[in-house]
Amino acid sequence: MNFATLQHEADGLSAGLPPLMVEADHLAASVSLGVHGRKRAGMGESFWQFRRYGQHDASSAIDWRASAKSQHLFVREREWEAAQTVWFWRDASANMRFGKPIEKRARAELLLLALAALLVRGGERVGFIGMEGAPAASRMALTRIGRALFGKNPEAALPPMAKMARGSHFVWFSDFLDEGVEETMQRLAHQGLKGHLVRIIDPAEEDFPYEGRLRFEAAMGGESEIFGRAEKVRDTYRARFVAHGEKIAQAAMKLGWTCTAHRTDHAPQRALIGLHGAIGGL
Amino acid sequence: MAFLSQLSFGAPLVLGALVVLPVLYWLLRVTPPLPKRVPFPPLRLLKQLPDEEQTPAKTPWWLLLLRLIAAALLIFALADPMLGRSPQLPGTGPLVLVIDNGWGSARSWDQRQDAIVDLLRAAGDRPVVLLPTASPAPIGLLNAAEAARLARELRPMPWPGDRNMAAATLAKMSLASPAIYWLSDGLEDGSTRAMAAALKRKGPLTVYAPRRMAYGLLPVVRDGSGFNLTAIRPMGGTAEDVEAAAIGARGETLAVTTLHFAADTNRAKGHIALPLDVRNQTARLELLGEDTAGAVQLLDSGSLQRRAGLVAAAEGEAQPLLSDVYYIERALQPFAEVDKGTISALLARHVTVLMLADVGRIPGADMEKVSRFVSDGGVLIRFAGDRMTGGADSLVPVPLRVGGRYLGSAMSWAAPQHPAPFTDASPFNGLSIPNEVTVSRQILAEPSSELSDRAWARLADGTPLITARQMGQGWIVLFHITASPAWSTLPLSGLYVDMLKRLLALAAGTPPSDLAGLTSLPPVSQLDGFGRTMPPAAEVQPIAAKDFARTEISPRHPPGLYGAHGVENALNILKANDTLLPMQDVGQTLQSYGALRTRALQPWLLAAGAGLLLLDALLALLLRGFIPRMGARGLAGGAAVALLALMAAPQARADDALAMKAALSTRLAYVRTGLADVDTTSEQGLTGLGYALRARTSYEPMEPVGVDLARDDLSYFPLLYWPMDPREKNLSPAVLTKVTDYMRQGGTILFDTRDLTLGAVRGAGSPGEQTLRRLTQGLDMPRLEPVPGDHVLTKAFYILRDFPGRWQGGQVWVEALPPSKPGDAPARGGDGVSPVIVGGNDWAAAWAVDRTGRFVSEVVPGGEMQRELAFRFGINLVMYALTGNYKTDQVHAPALLERMGR
Repeated sequence: MNFATLQHEADGLSAGLPPLMVEADHLAASVSLGVHGRKRAGMGESFWQFRRYGQHDASSAIDWRASAKSQHLFVREREWEAAQTVWFWRDASANMRFGKPIEKRARAELLLLALAALLVRGGERVGFIGMEGAPAASRMALTRIGRALFGKNPEAALPPMAKMARGSHFVWFSDFLDEGVEETMQRLAHQGLKGHLVRIIDPAEEDFPYEGRLRFEAAMGGESEIFGRAEKVRDTYRARFVAHGEKIAQAAMKLGWTCTAHRTDHAPQRALIGLHGAIGGL
Repeated sequence: MAFLSQLSFGAPLVLGALVVLPVLYWLLRVTPPLPKRVPFPPLRLLKQLPDEEQTPAKTPWWLLLLRLIAAALLIFALADPMLGRSPQLPGTGPLVLVIDNGWGSARSWDQRQDAIVDLLRAAGDRPVVLLPTASPAPIGLLNAAEAARLARELRPMPWPGDRNMAAATLAKMSLASPAIYWLSDGLEDGSTRAMAAALKRKGPLTVYAPRRMAYGLLPVVRDGSGFNLTAIRPMGGTAEDVEAAAIGARGETLAVTTLHFAADTNRAKGHIALPLDVRNQTARLELLGEDTAGAVQLLDSGSLQRRAGLVAAAEGEAQPLLSDVYYIERALQPFAEVDKGTISALLARHVTVLMLADVGRIPGADMEKVSRFVSDGGVLIRFAGDRMTGGADSLVPVPLRVGGRYLGSAMSWAAPQHPAPFTDASPFNGLSIPNEVTVSRQILAEPSSELSDRAWARLADGTPLITARQMGQGWIVLFHITASPAWSTLPLSGLYVDMLKRLLALAAGTPPSDLAGLTSLPPVSQLDGFGRTMPPAAEVQPIAAKDFARTEISPRHPPGLYGAHGVENALNILKANDTLLPMQDVGQTLQSYGALRTRALQPWLLAAGAGLLLLDALLALLLRGFIPRMGARGLAGGAAVALLALMAAPQARADDALAMKAALSTRLAYVRTGLADVDTTSEQGLTGLGYALRARTSYEPMEPVGVDLARDDLSYFPLLYWPMDPREKNLSPAVLTKVTDYMRQGGTILFDTRDLTLGAVRGAGSPGEQTLRRLTQGLDMPRLEPVPGDHVLTKAFYILRDFPGRWQGGQVWVEALPPSKPGDAPARGGDGVSPVIVGGNDWAAAWAVDRTGRFVSEVVPGGEMQRELAFRFGINLVMYALTGNYKTDQVHAPALLERMGR
């Protein structure tokens, strides 16, 4: 492959990226939250409290201005502002290509980038499992995530094995319809990750608005199921779908993870605020 | 059920297949259409769902109906149904077809052939007797294939059929139990009853006659302004209009007129007025839409109307019947346009034949003119008279004796003389001499050796009656008698007319030897049964000239042209007093041809069945859910095609409207770039310039036109304004050719690169100039140069030094002129107008005015003077484009005036 075709392909692949980034930025901007402090003294820049000077404090830590106001020496303490690392993954399987008018995958990617943008603004480090480079708290990291989303496209449903620091957050966008979801959750929990599952649901999957003689086909594998009267199985299906959702949510709860559901016909802002709350509130 | 009784089937057994329709119905009913496919990711959740109702949905009833109809149609189609029954032949013996194929049958000949085909089909294997009335009948009984072949080759003939002969031929045959069909042309020839009786004697007879019989055109009567036409029809009937046309030698229609048959009349008269020149080009007149030889009247080509000039010595005689002029005029009227006047006046009118009646001596000044006229190919015909007896000038064929010779008068012993038969060398050879023609007085020629050669007609005693001499390319002919019956009875006879007619042919360049050979007239061309001109067939015989008028149309003498080139006589089917009559009652009802026709329905049924199956396939796709995307696109495509078809007509009309608009007044035009802002500026600019032109010059342009280079005709516009913009698309090769042609044919294009409007730079790097280079890459551009100071563009209306527009400065380029020489005129412009003017000052923006008349753009650096100069450039440009090098020549005007002596 010569350079021209490579470049051409790269252009084609990343053609969707800038608009998506813009849209994600736009979405993130609508959720305005400041840098979230740790609510305790630590390494940081913003003022937390003055404390009486103790023997274990370095003399350079003395705040002379505050000390000059009284007889005692004071040390200025700052709030602890430790940056978190948030890892992302989104299901890229063919199942996620489903959806009208918005594909589940498109919505997942939008939420992912918007959340990442929001977190970067909050000073967190963000990364995408499988992307090149380490997580970082910069726009560069966003671009790298974007490239990872649009670049190699292995159609993988589950996050691959990767080295992630303990205590990192992990946000997983998927419909969780594939096999092996719970095993993966177990594995990640063992790695010491704090997980957040986001179920992306197409309205048709939840409501099952079908009628008449239909042949339902899986996105992959060529399996199919014919129903003479699709409307007859609607109630049963809905019950199963709800049960499936609950199963995922319970598995998450057992691990101390959170699980939220997002229908693609709902506004993405709501999901974003919820997610940010879940991560930022910790 | 009248319709059903008309149906017949070629293969009725196939209809048995209709039995399978119920089976098909049952099969289709239990086989439901394929289910619609739906992609569904959570399929896993649907697995092992209890499917409470797996019974297949029924095939929709309308789909079922559609398929059954399609199947039924196909079965019907395969049964080869026909609308209309083929006739049932009576008897068991041979089929006898008596076919009128005279000229009257040529009209709707197709119907006749269809009838023959139907009858032959009905006859099956029975032997066939074909009896055409106008062409030789094939002998004996024919088998079906042979009969079909011969029937296909049968053509209507350009002469009337001979029914008696056909009846006689049939009478000679012995036929057992024949079925006799007479396909007549419906016209009476006097033997209808005899024919019908003869046929009936042989066996059961069925007679066919067309509903509308052939119409005919009677011989054309010429008058001073054109042709008088008379059409005839066999039956009175209702009022009707027929069209008649004058057709030229190459088949071109010269004029058309409508002849009106009033109700219950069978004659219609009409007139075609044509100028003389066009009249002379007319080769035939015919009734349009008839397509029979009887509806055609050929014209004698020898009678191309000449302009004959007539000069009589004595004008305004009290008794017109004694005047020379009267007889010549009457004799020539059908063949020539006769002018009267003085010799010089007539020669100035370019007559081809000059006739001098009893002019003894041509006056001196005219003498030279007349001899030059003759030498240049004119024909001078002179008649003797009292004045000539006193001596003649030199423009006579033979030297004349003074004084005349009296024959058969009271003072003379001799009896009036008859003309001698014409010799073989005489151009009058072949004309018959009536007995009553006598000559009682003549002018005698001096005896000379040439006399025998020059005498074209003599009296019985050998004295010359008509002499002629060639002079240069023309002829001088002398009648040794008067043009009036004063000296002989010749002017009272038809011979006189014929002689003058042949003499007129001399003027057409026909050598007299050809005329002399016209004792028998060989065929030149003939008509076929449909009235089309074709080369004469081998069996066509020449006609003796003296018998021509009496010749009947027959296979040996079909209608056509006979004679030599330039003097062809026309032989037509219908003579002046002919009438057409419908066939007499033959004692039974006449069948009409159309009723016989059977129409095969198979193709239509097959097409309908196939159409329904196609619809079915589409519906199946729809039901299976393939349609959402594909169907929408397909539908959109179909709709677009339909819409285009609908729009094509108004589109064409719109084009015409533009052409009319552009052609009726000279307009300023700009090239429509398709960019709304640029086009608006162009239009506003040219509108503004138009106002200025209107106010200051005599040119008053209408509102400007935007032209689409690809679609519109550019030739209406002397000047095109073409603003450059980088967004413009490249031109297709066809458009480039069109633009090149436009420039080559004298159009001028002002390319405006709009330098400072588009970017900050001028010159080669500016976007406008790059666009110009891109667009005109394939264009044949002339060599350009900056406008020289003495170019006519700087002087066409105003005197200008530079050409500012919205911007000032910048170079303007025109086609390079040849270098100026010292002492040249103060203005140069080359021979034509420069096809290209290139500049970058964005003139349209400077000229642009909005609806309220306010200027749209500011000019830079500004000032009313700059805008004024911009307008002045525009005016100069338009003047330059409109007047070309006229303005260059204007500088010479004082010198020219002086040279002309004011």
